[in-house]
Amino acid sequence: MTAYLINLATLATIFGILAASLNVLIGYAGIFSIAHAVFFGLGAYAGAQLALQFIPDVLLACLAGGAISAALSLCLALPALRVRGEYFVAASLGLQMMAVTVFSEAHSLTGGHGGLVGIPPATLFGADVSAPAPFLGFALAVLAVLLLAVRLLMRGSFGRALMAIRDSESAAEAFGKDVRALKTLAVALGCAMAGVAGALFAFYMAFVNVESFTLEQSILVMAMVIIGGTATLAGPLLGVLLLLLLPAGLSFLPFIPPTQIGAVQQLIYGLAMTLLMIFRPAGIAGGRR
Amino acid sequence: MLFLQLLVSGIQTGAIYALTAAGFALIFGATRVFHVAHGATFALAGYTFLALSQAGFPWFLGAGAALVVAVAFGLFMDFFVYRPIQRHEGSFFTVFVAAFGMSIVVQSLIEIGFGRGFAVVASPLTRAHEVLPGLYLADIFWVAIGVALVMFGAVTLFLERTRLGIGLRALSENPELLRAFGLSSRRLSMVAFGLGSALAVPGAVLTAVTSGLQPAISAQVMLVSLAAAVVGGIGSLRGAALAGLLLGVVENLVVSVLDTQWSAAAGFVVLFAFILFKPSGLFGQAVAR
Repeated sequence: MTAYLINLATLATIFGILAASLNVLIGYAGIFSIAHAVFFGLGAYAGAQLALQFIPDVLLACLAGGAISAALSLCLALPALRVRGEYFVAASLGLQMMAVTVFSEAHSLTGGHGGLVGIPPATLFGADVSAPAPFLGFALAVLAVLLLAVRLLMRGSFGRALMAIRDSESAAEAFGKDVRALKTLAVALGCAMAGVAGALFAFYMAFVNVESFTLEQSILVMAMVIIGGTATLAGPLLGVLLLLLLPAGLSFLPFIPPTQIGAVQQLIYGLAMTLLMIFRPAGIAGGRR
Repeated sequence: MLFLQLLVSGIQTGAIYALTAAGFALIFGATRVFHVAHGATFALAGYTFLALSQAGFPWFLGAGAALVVAVAFGLFMDFFVYRPIQRHEGSFFTVFVAAFGMSIVVQSLIEIGFGRGFAVVASPLTRAHEVLPGLYLADIFWVAIGVALVMFGAVTLFLERTRLGIGLRALSENPELLRAFGLSSRRLSMVAFGLGSALAVPGAVLTAVTSGLQPAISAQVMLVSLAAAVVGGIGSLRGAALAGLLLGVVENLVVSVLDTQWSAAAGFVVLFAFILFKPSGLFGQAVAR
């Protein structure tokens, strides 16, 4: 039972980082990306390759995953600078669909559909941290550092300028804010954090394949952020807990046949998304807007 | 000959895409609602037709019921999801998430009711004959083309010649003026949702007969109509139809050059390129950044 709980907690921590990273884009910068699983995936593949080819150091893997995702976040920043609203959502959808094809076809880098297997146990400065408890500790530390960083950044001038752009781009521009640079930085920051989550995920699973980085995953993370509440620190974490505990909780209900749990779970979160948007668009943790 | 064969099947797919995308574009053009649940309309219509055909009803009853279900769902979305949101805030992303939630709900309901697998309605129309050496064509090809042309012609006539149609076009251009003129924008938006949803029905029925249905088809159709609407120029009906046709053809022709896995991604490469370089699309007016 404790092993199960530690496992669940580790998964929740990793998704917490992922949701917090998407919150930087959606909540603070107003960039409605539905391609976030792409950057999660890039980080996971980068971390896995580093561990397989060179050294299974989990901190290095996180840095590598973050760096790769930040570098390739230009693919998302480019349309974000050119178009807004519906057009950007469409562009990020396009990016997501292309990336899934690339992930499953670039065999030498990603292992194709079979994925990358046999990722070695995680180490940290030479010490083994692959056991469930130490690994959870490390993941929690990463989450804490990143949340602190987001909080400090969003309270400072960077965050306030970003939110000004979110609320009115032309007004922010008139105030002399460099909209292009700020948006590019915000995208890079959000994607880098997603890459870090991806690298942790690779070690946690000891196996990565394209199934974890599809449009469904992007939607799940989006649902976590939206249901929890955008532009708050606690909201995305709350959303993660709700949506991760949901399948675990549903499996205790006797009247749902086990084969239908996936569908029932989807049904509930789809319904939750719609109802929240109608009655409480700022999410559970969000204040009234 | 392979090229010609692929072109022909591309045109057949494209005709279905074109009609569905035209419905999406009609709704968006008139009401400015990014109706991503349009794919769910398509899936509901297809599965209604499937259920009635399997129960032994003749095809026209099945198609009629599909039409009723599609229109009812479109009106339901307008009435119970979009209107309440527009009443209090109406930011585009709120509408988007709510509609997305509903399409997840529909997809999981279909999954619970019909299972995850493919389902096809058998029809004598799909038997292929050799019309030229090496070129096979089923009668359904002509049905698809004919239905697409007739429906598209009828909608164009409706929009250009009837009072209601002209009202719809006025609604897309200037809702305030329309109200000042004494027309009800609510009634017109109901017409837009009803008609736009009806346009998804022929495609759904044809897909049920030819390539078959699966629960995930709602997401797939949503992506295609979204892509077609953007590539064609958001709001432009003939742009969306032409782009839908184009996407169908590209998707099929890509197979003659690359592996089949790339065919789904090809459409999204086109979409991504259009958003980056010509966001106004084929027939759209230039958009403000």
